[in-house]
Amino acid sequence: MPKSPITITDEIGIALGNLADAATSPLTPTLRLGVTGLSRAGKTIFITALVHNLLNGTRLPGFAPLTEGRLIGVRLDEHEDHAVPRFAYEQHLGSLTGPEPAWPESTRRISQLRLTLKYQSRNWIGGLVGPSQMHLDIVDYPGEWLLDLPLLNLSYAQWSREALERAERVKDAEARPFFEAMSAIDATAEATEPAAEALATAFAAYLRESRKDGRALSTLPPGRFLMPGDLEGSPALTFAPLPPLPGHTDRRSLHAMLERRYEAYRRLVVRPFFRDHFARLDRQIVLVDTLRALNVGPDAVADLESAITAVMACFRQGSGNPVSRLLSRRIDRILFAATKADHLHHTSHDRLQAILERMVARAARRSRYHGARTASMAIAAIRATREGTIEDKGEKLPCIVGTPQAGEHLGNITYDGKTEIALFPGDLPGDPESVFQEGSVPVPLHFLRFNPPGGLSRSGDGAVVLPHIRLDRALDFLIGDWLK
Amino acid sequence: MREPRAQALEPEALAAEARPARQPRAFTRDEIETVPHEVEARLETLTDGNLPDLPELAPQKAYRRMGWLARTGLAAGGILISLALGLWVDQLLRDLFDRFPALGWIGLAAAALAGIAILALALRELLALRRLRVLDGLRRAASEAIETDNPDRGRAVLSELSGLYHARPDLANARNVLAENTQDLFDGSAIVHHAERVLMSPLDGRARALTANAARRVAVVTAISPRALVDIGFVVYESFRLAGAISRLYGARPGFFGSIGLTRAILSHLAVTGGVALGDSVAQQLVGHGLAARLSARLGEGLVNGLMTVRVGIAAMRVVRPLPFDALKAPTVADFIPELAKVAGVGKKESGV
Repeated sequence: MPKSPITITDEIGIALGNLADAATSPLTPTLRLGVTGLSRAGKTIFITALVHNLLNGTRLPGFAPLTEGRLIGVRLDEHEDHAVPRFAYEQHLGSLTGPEPAWPESTRRISQLRLTLKYQSRNWIGGLVGPSQMHLDIVDYPGEWLLDLPLLNLSYAQWSREALERAERVKDAEARPFFEAMSAIDATAEATEPAAEALATAFAAYLRESRKDGRALSTLPPGRFLMPGDLEGSPALTFAPLPPLPGHTDRRSLHAMLERRYEAYRRLVVRPFFRDHFARLDRQIVLVDTLRALNVGPDAVADLESAITAVMACFRQGSGNPVSRLLSRRIDRILFAATKADHLHHTSHDRLQAILERMVARAARRSRYHGARTASMAIAAIRATREGTIEDKGEKLPCIVGTPQAGEHLGNITYDGKTEIALFPGDLPGDPESVFQEGSVPVPLHFLRFNPPGGLSRSGDGAVVLPHIRLDRALDFLIGDWLK
Repeated sequence: MREPRAQALEPEALAAEARPARQPRAFTRDEIETVPHEVEARLETLTDGNLPDLPELAPQKAYRRMGWLARTGLAAGGILISLALGLWVDQLLRDLFDRFPALGWIGLAAAALAGIAILALALRELLALRRLRVLDGLRRAASEAIETDNPDRGRAVLSELSGLYHARPDLANARNVLAENTQDLFDGSAIVHHAERVLMSPLDGRARALTANAARRVAVVTAISPRALVDIGFVVYESFRLAGAISRLYGARPGFFGSIGLTRAILSHLAVTGGVALGDSVAQQLVGHGLAARLSARLGEGLVNGLMTVRVGIAAMRVVRPLPFDALKAPTVADFIPELAKVAGVGKKESGV
């Protein structure tokens, strides 16, 4: 059994927090929705679309409480945790629906948001007391930080071994400066700040470099090296992996100093992040950018799979009951979602879902073992394309129609971000296994990134209608049963 | 004894299933505009009625077929009777013409009118029977769309539904909502569930109200009727009326033969669910023979008869509703007990006086 990633003090704190929750608002339960996804998986877009659609009640036919007319209204509320910035919903919506629609920039810091949902309950107790309320808490954070969670269970020696193994594979490419820096220092010598800094800088540069072409997009902890947040330059971020030194116990050596700093990173950065935002979740959606990994190849797919499995192993899953919920929260429903389904014609969604299911199979099996319910679907929180068919050389091709982002290219054409095209991205393989197999015939696939949809329609009360794919079903699975 | 042997398969035979994967490619705007995009394409499918091919549905054996012997007998008998009728009409007209030509013409006109009316009636009955079959088929197609989650099948169900209800003013709003929202749905089950929530729930509510009213009437009439035969008759009459009203509500409009078929289907449904609804029967026992019977034996009987009517109403809903109960909860007898308890409350007051 793996040891608990957080201390007993933290556990008590979490339990007290849950009790306090139950005591302060016995009639208004709080559902904490964990939006989990690696960087660029679409967390910010998902949260923005979810909040916007709920607030305005637009176009969510699959969300039962709304369709049945029981959802009275939703409003943005002040979060009880005043230390964390509020999720900039209005700003993100503005950039999506402005005159020049653009996707929000990648998230650099943590932020959160609380929605209060007012609804009419369907059971007879709810009918007696009138409309009920619930809070929905959502946290947004840089996806890179998620990669830190597996570190909670790794010692410095274990982490160094894994990180060096990975770096070894690209020794002659991105990792060369790092290995040069490592051979230039003596780990047993007395520690100096410049030596540590030089090594850490080289290591961070290697991580950034290997992320660039999208090959290794997931297994790159520590995440704060990629997205430091407000910790830039602090000693807890100045460390790097080193080969083990058996029998070496000098506390003043560079090796010992880096080890202390790694421990400090775990204690000061990773553990609070987990404790404050992930230890008390009720529901979880795991956003997986399957298409980007498919674009790159089997390496990236396998890499993504192992990252998801490692990250998901850190969460507390299982079924709970109202009494146990007073003290400990467990995630009892997990939705695995392949995002950006609008980059495919809907006839390919089944295959995308099959590939996703294969990819998260290990994580899902673990969750189900612990008693959580899992589901998987292909979604697009905001739909950037339309669909159409095109006849090409006597062949009818199901296409998607949209405007690719500036700089995207297919074949030898590079797009300027203004031309609307119809794209046939290739057939997804019918056998999900084939995208994992190294050296099999490469699947001819090419997914372009599209600009946000322009010229959006407006609902009766003037709110922008954001088109989506299956966001309503995802929502129904995640929170629908709390609104019974 | 045969030797063990092995034969290499042609690689094409193995790869016969796998179509060569198509290359990704892009097209410019000029090419796009020649192509109807998806929504328009969908509108075309809806207006033209050129629906995606559904697999042939096996006809349900809702009405048990007779054996060939009985059918031959009936057919021969029918022919004989028709011939006799024809002969009789022919003889009658001849006699009339013999007696007085004007009378003969009047008789001929009456015979022609009767013939036309009978033809029209038969046609209507046939149409009604066909509508019942369509509802049956629709329900099966909807279940399949939910199971396979195929959006095309879901849309096919939807367009049949809108064909069924296109002339209903009370569902105009629901139809608009449905047409607008299903553009964004990509799963067969989502489409059918949405149709059920939007289109069926107002009908369900009215069917419930009809059932509750009929049950209340039956309960009151049973409680105050002087003869047992009267209330049995009233239960039968009220059940027929309820079944007819519910099937008209859901768009079935059964004729005479349709009603007979419907009654059979409802009765067989009651027979099947009789064992299943054990919990409901316990409630019935409690309400009928326990509480209410203490107040008054007649009132207890009234409630039992009322609950029987409720079960007829529920069975009728299940038989004629074009979509299966999947997203919404199917009504149970227990849902109607509060309604009937109101009757009991009235009865209590009266008996207290």
